[in-house]
Amino acid sequence: MTTTVRPARTIYTNPSRAARPRPEASGSDRFWWYFMRLSGLALVILALGHMFIMHVLVELTGGEIDFAFVQSRWGSPFWRIYDLLLLLLAFIHGARGAKIVITDYVTNRTGRSLLIGILLVLSVVWLVLGMGVIAFFNPDTAPPTGPFS
Amino acid sequence: MITLFGYRISWAQLAQLGHRASGLGVLLYLFMHIVETSTVLFGPDVYNAAVGIFKNLPARLGEVVLMAALVYHALNGLRVIAMDFWPSLTVYYRPMTYGVVSATIVSMIPLSIIMLRPFMPWGA
Repeated sequence: MTTTVRPARTIYTNPSRAARPRPEASGSDRFWWYFMRLSGLALVILALGHMFIMHVLVELTGGEIDFAFVQSRWGSPFWRIYDLLLLLLAFIHGARGAKIVITDYVTNRTGRSLLIGILLVLSVVWLVLGMGVIAFFNPDTAPPTGPFS
Repeated sequence: MITLFGYRISWAQLAQLGHRASGLGVLLYLFMHIVETSTVLFGPDVYNAAVGIFKNLPARLGEVVLMAALVYHALNGLRVIAMDFWPSLTVYYRPMTYGVVSATIVSMIPLSIIMLRPFMPWGA
């Protein structure tokens, strides 16, 4: 009768408990380890702040999110930079997170590369679109009526 | 330890699963949110029509779920960050996980009341 010797369960090696230890070697893995945690800290302020303004302050003050709201908000460079920072950090943090989920659950090599490729292309397209909207929206020359009016 | 779908799952594993589910959900919303916001380039009529799609009870309930996902992801993320930078905190993963879940539920009580108030029979 064979007995299998199980290694002692140390709490540090269980990834669900001590999420992921910092990669020892410097390189992209270590960069992304820091990026996810530091961007996460920034996003606690940026993303929760955004949600608090849009869903709590606007609601409590009886305001409404419409075109005029965006016009006055993006008339200020502060909120444009805030939103640009939020877009960049949230999107890259989210895309990297989705990539980690794909590598964890998809074991098939072709499927994994395909999914990561699709994720990368979609992320770049959407990120460029989002940055373009924040950069090119001009409150002064905004068309008074849209093409579907 | 709890039993889910016939598997014995620890609270830590469930917290990690919740972190991934909420993260993917928020990312999916972010894709939609960028498209919705990009309509602002087409002027007030198009933008007001686009955001008008979300001014009803089902959409508002979705926004409450989004808020809960984000609050949970933020709090649980802070727990993960704390344990990653100070591994000695790992021994407290269970009370910290309970703290994250309770703080999410407690903070969602006032948040959902504020967000759903306009749709309540007595509200607006």
